[in-house]
Amino acid sequence: MSQAPPVPLPHPTGPLAGYRVLDFADEKGQLCARLLGELGADVVKVEPREGDRTRQNGPHFRGDQGPESSLYWWAMNAGKRSVTCELRLEAGRALMHRLAAHADVVVETNAPGQAAPLGLDYATLSAVNPGLVVVSITNWGQTGPYRDMLATDLVAVAMGGHMHLNGDEEHGPVRTLAPQAYAQVNLQAAVGALIAVYARGANSGAGQHVDVSMQEAVANAMDNAQATWDIRHVNLSGPGLRRNNTGLPTPKYLYEARDGWVACLAVGGLVGPGSGAIVDWLAATGEDGGLDTPEWRARLVELRPLDDDERSKLEDVLAAFCRIRLKEDLVEEAQRRNAGWAPVFGPSEVVESKHLAARDYWVRVVHEDIGESFVYPGAPWKLGLTPWQQRGRAPHLGEHNEQVYGDLLGMDAAELRRLRMRMVL
Amino acid sequence: MTMPEPLQKAFAGLRVADFAWVGVGPTVSKYLADHGAEVIRVESNTYPEALRRVGPFPGDIPGVDSSGYYANFNSSKLGISLNLKHPRGPELARRLVEQCDVVTESFTPGTMARFGLDYESLRAVRPDLVMISMPLYGQTGPWASYMGYGHVLQAASGFNHLTGWPDGAPIGTGIAYTDFLVPHMGAIGLLAALDYRRRTGQGQYIDFSQFEAAVHGLETAVLDWTANGHEQARMGNRDPEAAPHGCYRCKDGKWLVIACFTEEQWVALKAALGRPDWCDLERMRRRWQRQAEQHEIDRHLGFWVEDITRRPDEPAQSRHETAEGVTIVRYTSYELMRYLQSFGVPAGVVQSPEDLHRDPQLAHRGHYWKLEHPVMGLRTYDAPAFRLSRTPGELTKAAPCLGESNEYVYRQVMGLGEDEFVELLADGAFE
Repeated sequence: MSQAPPVPLPHPTGPLAGYRVLDFADEKGQLCARLLGELGADVVKVEPREGDRTRQNGPHFRGDQGPESSLYWWAMNAGKRSVTCELRLEAGRALMHRLAAHADVVVETNAPGQAAPLGLDYATLSAVNPGLVVVSITNWGQTGPYRDMLATDLVAVAMGGHMHLNGDEEHGPVRTLAPQAYAQVNLQAAVGALIAVYARGANSGAGQHVDVSMQEAVANAMDNAQATWDIRHVNLSGPGLRRNNTGLPTPKYLYEARDGWVACLAVGGLVGPGSGAIVDWLAATGEDGGLDTPEWRARLVELRPLDDDERSKLEDVLAAFCRIRLKEDLVEEAQRRNAGWAPVFGPSEVVESKHLAARDYWVRVVHEDIGESFVYPGAPWKLGLTPWQQRGRAPHLGEHNEQVYGDLLGMDAAELRRLRMRMVL
Repeated sequence: MTMPEPLQKAFAGLRVADFAWVGVGPTVSKYLADHGAEVIRVESNTYPEALRRVGPFPGDIPGVDSSGYYANFNSSKLGISLNLKHPRGPELARRLVEQCDVVTESFTPGTMARFGLDYESLRAVRPDLVMISMPLYGQTGPWASYMGYGHVLQAASGFNHLTGWPDGAPIGTGIAYTDFLVPHMGAIGLLAALDYRRRTGQGQYIDFSQFEAAVHGLETAVLDWTANGHEQARMGNRDPEAAPHGCYRCKDGKWLVIACFTEEQWVALKAALGRPDWCDLERMRRRWQRQAEQHEIDRHLGFWVEDITRRPDEPAQSRHETAEGVTIVRYTSYELMRYLQSFGVPAGVVQSPEDLHRDPQLAHRGHYWKLEHPVMGLRTYDAPAFRLSRTPGELTKAAPCLGESNEYVYRQVMGLGEDEFVELLADGAFE
């Protein structure tokens, strides 16, 4: 177990309180480290003197391109502390190794082979602190034929297969604007990190190396497409308004409402044991389009798949029904009838969601530096005993140098000044 | 150098009663099972787990023990059948929980309580229990009882809105996307709580909402709205931070993606293209300028990719009747990816599930495990995306058939006598 001193933050409430994470990560690992922080760990973001590259990532607050106004940086680094350290200098590496002795987890995203010159490879770090869990997140993994290839989110969602499942025949594959290869690998890396942290308990505090592949993380987001190839030798691909289902035809699940779109599985529940309740609904307003007959009702609960004509009949009825109604009215009534509908929400509607408000989901994060505060996503888990906690805005560059190097390593102002003059900080 | 001692599996000795079903819950407990925990799926023949009813099925013949969908998310687990509606069902479930460290469930809120299996009741029999409930919308709020799957949750949580073409419908991903995003978040919370229990002896309850977890997958879309008042929306394969950033059809039928975020990558792409005139135009000089010229860039790249690729049956090199009589090399999509990568351009092929099964990198990492299942035969399973150097994951067995571990769990884990076991069996408690 870690010999680290207690975390100096005033609110070590989460289940990971007492742990310290050093974050050297780019887009592949910053969310991973942030989540560990919101669960109680002290996360120290280590940046080069010129600032982390991702401080340039857009969008920016009110279009201001400065290094402290990247909304990407804000979102992914909220609640962390920032120190600077020049790892290309021997003195910087030595300083970081002193800090690593006080850490439980390191998250780094250097390409294979590039961590060692910075002193961040597992062999070096584990010699400094054998209990350390070193999470190395790369595009493809530490070894293998693709290890040196470049990747961005787009390349990873393509090479991991997920993009093949999205899009339509006319335009080809499509990605999600919010980068999902990054989201996937961050979350899955955090799982790997915590398994390794837990394993220390069963193994006298021994740390280990966690080798995470972004491509592989995407390959785990394939629904049943992997099994469908394995078993049916069918390649699922972009179904447009329909959905992939083991290569069998499915009806449209997205319909246009008067004020947007609604998502409703199985033509709104018109297929399967609950279809009667939906036919009742359509019939009650006289918009059943001829489905309110004993023959159709019997057909809709049969297991035998619909043929093309039947499918388009149902789609037409439902499309006409939805087109003249508001999406949230539709969803409310469908749910009352036990059909799993949901509105298609944009980010603003997610933020305005009455349900999330009722659960007190959102947190307001104070940016005292600019005299404002903004709404951020809240707790992904409501933990009964050790609550999740948002820990404030993202740090300015090197904002916590004195605090971290002073409190943890006992360095005084003169020593920090010397390091600054030697361009280490 | 001495080799490090072999280590115990991360979750050796940990036992999990897994009442969860469909995609999210089983993926959470798969992490535990693949790393050494004894995970017991609690299911019933009276209302089989939804994934058991969805294919793919070998030979397209449905059967509760034949779903490849179910199988892939339930490696390394045991399985029992228990009819909670049998008069003694809830009591048996509580006796199982007494022997467990973790309970996972994903029913509609209130369901577990109806069987006396809510956290308070279970804590009475197992004080240090860690329990996670993970329905779509959480335990409270106006949508708490709403039904759905990952397909509709991806709509509610913003993914459909952000996926598709700018002038088209919010098509979203082609799958139940959030079912394959939020379980990782669920596992993070559960593992953190388990580690707290390891350190303090204290268990706790986790109210996990898939909706609330999914919102964390939207990157900057929330803050862009709350801080800038800007509503992000789908833009095909483009990206506000990169140009070019697109997907181009190759002659071998595959699609190739190219992304240039940095100046260095753009210069590399120009070199790979052989510096055609268009890319040296003044209006292509800086990224913000190229951002405005994406339509034209995509048109040029589309032609170039189509022209430089070949059908599989075409020769790789052909001598063309040009003035210089040069030899033109034409590439498959994969060769073109390698060609672009050799210049330093991020590029990749949109791989199909079939391609993934043949992917040399995933093979090198041993991503796919082949496990023998008594009904389905040798099938392919996904491994976690990480390799732990000293306590690596191991897929120890194929997914359980419904009720296959009844004898072991009821007799050995729970200590039921033979007479009692047979009596309950005859009375339908294990249906």
